[in-house]
Amino acid sequence: MTTIRFRINGNVVADEVPPRLSLADFLRERRNLTGTHLGCEHGVCGACTVLVDGEPARSCLMLAVACDDRTVETIEGFADDAVMAALRRNFHQHHALQCGFCTPAMLITACDLIRRGRAGSERNIREGLAGNICRCTGYTNIVTAIAEAGKEIASEVRHGQ
Amino acid sequence: MANDGSGIGASLLRKEDERHLHGRGEFVPDIKLPGMMEVAFVRSPHAHARIRSISVPPEARGRVFTAADLPRIKPIRITVNAAGAKAPAWPPLATDKARYVGEAIAACIAPSRGEAEDLANAVAVDFEVLDAVVDAPRDMQGSRHPVHEQWGDNLYVERLVEGGDIEAAARAAEITVSRQFRMQRQSGAPLEGRAVLAYRDHRLDEVVVYASTQTPHTVRVALGEFLDIEARCIRVVAPDVGGGFGPKARLYPEEIILAALALQLDHPVRWVEDRGEHLLTAAHTRDHHYKVTAYADRQGKILGVDAEIVVDAGAYGLWPQGPYQEAAMAARNLPGPYTIANYRARHFTVATNKAPLGPYRGVGRPGACFAMERMIDEVARAVGRDPVEVRAENMVRSAAMPFTTVGGMRLDNGDYPQSVRLCAELLDLPAVRARQQKGEPDGRFVGIGFAAFAEQTAHGAAEFVARGAAIIPGFESCTARILPDGSVVLMVGIQSHGQGLETTLSQIAAHELGIDPARISVRHGDTESTAFGFGTFASRSMVMSGGAVARASRMLRDKLCRIGAHLLQCDPAQVRCAEGAVLGPQGSVTIAEIAHVAHLRMDGLPPGVDPLLDATATYEPAIGTGVFSYATHGAVVAVDPETGFIELLDFAVAEDCGTMVNPMIVEGQIRGGVVQGIGTALYEEIPYDEAGQPLAGTLADYLLPGAAELPAIKIGHLHTPAAATEYGMKGMGEGGAVAPPAAIANAVRDALAGIGAEVNETPITPRRVLAALQMAREAAANP
Repeated sequence: MTTIRFRINGNVVADEVPPRLSLADFLRERRNLTGTHLGCEHGVCGACTVLVDGEPARSCLMLAVACDDRTVETIEGFADDAVMAALRRNFHQHHALQCGFCTPAMLITACDLIRRGRAGSERNIREGLAGNICRCTGYTNIVTAIAEAGKEIASEVRHGQ
Repeated sequence: MANDGSGIGASLLRKEDERHLHGRGEFVPDIKLPGMMEVAFVRSPHAHARIRSISVPPEARGRVFTAADLPRIKPIRITVNAAGAKAPAWPPLATDKARYVGEAIAACIAPSRGEAEDLANAVAVDFEVLDAVVDAPRDMQGSRHPVHEQWGDNLYVERLVEGGDIEAAARAAEITVSRQFRMQRQSGAPLEGRAVLAYRDHRLDEVVVYASTQTPHTVRVALGEFLDIEARCIRVVAPDVGGGFGPKARLYPEEIILAALALQLDHPVRWVEDRGEHLLTAAHTRDHHYKVTAYADRQGKILGVDAEIVVDAGAYGLWPQGPYQEAAMAARNLPGPYTIANYRARHFTVATNKAPLGPYRGVGRPGACFAMERMIDEVARAVGRDPVEVRAENMVRSAAMPFTTVGGMRLDNGDYPQSVRLCAELLDLPAVRARQQKGEPDGRFVGIGFAAFAEQTAHGAAEFVARGAAIIPGFESCTARILPDGSVVLMVGIQSHGQGLETTLSQIAAHELGIDPARISVRHGDTESTAFGFGTFASRSMVMSGGAVARASRMLRDKLCRIGAHLLQCDPAQVRCAEGAVLGPQGSVTIAEIAHVAHLRMDGLPPGVDPLLDATATYEPAIGTGVFSYATHGAVVAVDPETGFIELLDFAVAEDCGTMVNPMIVEGQIRGGVVQGIGTALYEEIPYDEAGQPLAGTLADYLLPGAAELPAIKIGHLHTPAAATEYGMKGMGEGGAVAPPAAIANAVRDALAGIGAEVNETPITPRRVLAALQMAREAAANP
């Protein structure tokens, strides 16, 4: 067992974990943060994507012990986050989800794309989503929703909000 | 009733979205119970092997369960109504023999999945390895070690579909075209794999089984049968399900085993399939071989089609329908939307040492469409005409409908040729032709291809009886209940896992009752709260469950009107339901007020009217042979002759699914289906080697389509309401996945026409393109 201490969605968390426990299993089984989903557990499907120190990471490939002293954000976080709010609104408006299993991670990746200014064109968005598989939607509406959310955020920035 | 922006025809935003957007969906793996243990399986590493012995280390005793440790479990048996069809019994945990890589042999339990896997690794199984049956056409009549040795051969069933006079067509033909086609084996690969959680509820004297399934009610039927317990003692719940697409519409051994463990151990047990298990053991799909000859006249009019179809169905048939549907549907659907008069298709369903084949979006039809639509293009090329024209000319005309095809499908209505023309418009066919004339600066070849189909949907009893099906999923049910405050709950026997039925079914009740859909809840996927229904598959839920909702809502509406008229002191014929109230000639009474009377103030009820607002209805469409959606799909590709790489430049669908309850959701279903069809066309494949080892065990080997390699999918609609269903709806959930392999293969053929290369096997990988180019160049060099 190894003692770890890190920040999840703004709260400091300390726990004893076996070294082989993945971050995804830690979040889901120990913290009940079940919005982080497991679709392949080998880093391809992207359903387990969370932010670690602000950057998207596969929580299935990352060990919980590797998160000691770091900051993790999951879909259950993002309170008062304008980008996430715009994304949620547009995913709903544009029917960008069906079964909902890829959705939390899709939103987190999209949030990162908008923050990094990589949601300006359809090509950019599509390439940015290469690590997140959706099996239901065919992506068209996801791309539209992200583009629209990006525009809303850009316009809010322009208007000094 | 008028469309008020939330009823039938409105693109109402989905009720389902809110929970998923916040990560608050509840999938089986999200559910934890006190004392719950995780399950991992010991699975066969061999495709075909006798099990000599299973040895469990002493320290693992009581935590490892073989078939002998779970005596309650009976083998899975399929009822067969078709003469000559074979149906092997399938022990959920293998006993004497393993018949495919991944077949479950023992279940191991531990507090975490990792520890359960450690236990599974400690179990030693002594195998006597046998020759594996892996080549269906080669081995179907027999092999050294047949999959089921008592059979002698490896054939589940062999059948003939015939119509007209194929020999006469052959004699009359001016053009004869023959080809072989192959659609490889693939996985359904929903993003959430399978999962089961089972526990015993002593208060209710039942075993509760949470499962990631499309068919909770029939899973309960099966659990009762194979565990020998009464249905009243079983509850099956399908909570949020992370995609189904067909593979989750069957019973699986794991569901039986988990229920048996819960009954025996008396603590909760959970099994969450990992992706490796999914690719190895969840129902596989497709795996068709075709030999087709088309006879035509000099104009490209097809006089007859002669076909041999072999489906590699794997080691067992999945309950309830067994392995027989795939080949039978391919054979009956091969003539497609065409007037072909003479037809012969011999079809074979073959047992091999591979995972069992099950349904996947399109069932049988993507392969049939691939073979037929490639043939249409080859006939057109043979007579030197544009495939678009030859395709449209061979189609059944509106005026001739209803038209029963030579394959036995009764096409109800629609304008099929118009879908071809509309699809060509969406892709701007003349512009693509001009681009081809100009050539590409990078040396790639551009091609455009089309494929059409008519899709049988929402078929009722007549169709399933004709198939000799074991159970007849010919109806759906709804209990509609208005609560004392006037809010509404619809309890339906289907399961919604992405189709948005929580939204669309509430739109139907809103339309009938004049109530805001926001005041309507839909309950599904739970045998406890819903009347029996078959579940969601076969493009049936909107039509069948929607029809049941319509009927139950109308029963409630009649009662609301009777009570409302009494309260308004007028005649029931003078009132109607709208705007959340019963409106009379003078004044109105809200549904909440009526509901209050019906439950809490029965002294206000008219004489002879019982309390409660609660109605259960079933529904089967007026025609049991199905209503047919149809579409033409078109693809534009650029093929790199150096690398064999195919870029999909454009894709369009021109379709008609009758009345659309929610066009936004219809388009979402189409696009999702198309991308799955693109996966079949270009990426997805589970190859097996000669020893029966599957070669795609991760998503690094099994490629799923991603956003980066896809264009936006264009959609155009035609509108021909069905005559036989409520509101004119037709099912449409599967169609998107049917035609992309054919359309893309035709586009590749068009791109490579100058070289004379064609690829008649999916997925059309760069390796297969290069092989086709090589073959064409060699043929050109040695004429």
